Amino acid sequence: MRMRTARTAGVLVLLTAVVMCAASAQVSLQEFERALYSIPASNPEFLLSTIELGMTQEDFPAEQLLGLIERLAEHPGEPFEKDAVLNVLAHALEVGLPIEGLVNKAFEGLARRIPLHQLESWLSQRMVLLAETRDLLYSKGIFSAPSRAPQTVPTAIPMPRFNLLLIHMSEAIGDFLEGGGSPFDGHVLYQEVYNRLTMLQGVTLVPDDVQLVLERIEPSDLTQVALAAVS
Amino acid sequence: MKHDDLDVLLQDTLRAEVAAASDRIIDLEERVVMELGDRRPRLRWFQWLGQLAAPTRATRWGQIAVVGATAAVFLFLGLTLSDRIAPNTPAPQLSLQRLGTADGMQSVLFVWPAPLEAESVAVVGNFNAWEGTDLSDPDGDGIWTAQIPLAPGRYEYAFVVDGKWQGHDPRADEVIQSFGQYSSVRYIGRGGDDA
Repeated sequence: MRMRTARTAGVLVLLTAVVMCAASAQVSLQEFERALYSIPASNPEFLLSTIELGMTQEDFPAEQLLGLIERLAEHPGEPFEKDAVLNVLAHALEVGLPIEGLVNKAFEGLARRIPLHQLESWLSQRMVLLAETRDLLYSKGIFSAPSRAPQTVPTAIPMPRFNLLLIHMSEAIGDFLEGGGSPFDGHVLYQEVYNRLTMLQGVTLVPDDVQLVLERIEPSDLTQVALAAVS
Repeated sequence: MKHDDLDVLLQDTLRAEVAAASDRIIDLEERVVMELGDRRPRLRWFQWLGQLAAPTRATRWGQIAVVGATAAVFLFLGLTLSDRIAPNTPAPQLSLQRLGTADGMQSVLFVWPAPLEAESVAVVGNFNAWEGTDLSDPDGDGIWTAQIPLAPGRYEYAFVVDGKWQGHDPRADEVIQSFGQYSSVRYIGRGGDDA
């Protein structure tokens, strides 16, 4: 009898611990709210609504975004400059773009002590690249599908996979431009995108998705995307 | 002579010869078995190898024993002689090595050769939100190292030596420009590049 009671108590303690760990792993909207008020953000309601929208996405980097807001709060820059950086991310969320790459770059910019106004313009350019790359994929008949739904056609890629492709394609174009590449070097640009995607196929990207993209895009398409970002 | 008489004569002669030799065939079978037992055939090396490959239970155990013993000998030799043949110091030109772990993460070794007077070396990258992970140099030879578990993927990073960023790792898969400065890039988990 005593043994059974002890065992039951042990199982209950274990279950409680598991539930507490699971609960603590999720970032709540209230935590974002507190962090935004500590900046202080000029329009926290707008930022919070876009964050709430983003939280519905499976691959939303909640912890990273909260960490970035907290790091911005500690930054010695002006609140309006911090606000501008966060607004870029909010606009990306508003139009359904994945922000993981932007958040990463924002962390890097802060670590490199890039002035906030430069960081904001840098992030804006990367956001344009993301949007243009997504439009390119759409124009090639490649779409994102809800992640939980079964994939009925190869061109409807579940959202987390689609977003990863999008991030790596746009970053490859962005890195090429930042390294001094010309948008008119379409073939070199295509090679950069090809290299990035093939290096990651079978690692984080699904090989069928990579092949689909590489079959459908052409160097001139990438030139159009790059031109839109630099203009 | 009649035909029947010849048959009888032949049978009588045979019986007489068998009776005369009967003392020699008593216990013949036992004696042959004993003789064979003392003289096991000596196998040549290729016959011995062939027997090892034969799919019987006894030979399978033999195979396992031979392979195990060989592995143990090589392991012993490797462990005892490796330090004498190649002293256990990190190679300065190697900035990043990968060692597999069971959960799919890879323990990535970051190595940076810094000037002997360097006081701190850290690695920053998109795996630690660009906040420094310290490298250490316990023997003071200027080779700073840190091991960080990473999931398969693409990682951008740079070293920070006494506050100064060093983004151009010669052993990186790529070097890119980021915010007008260099960052190194490594791809973790690609087939064939982990050796």
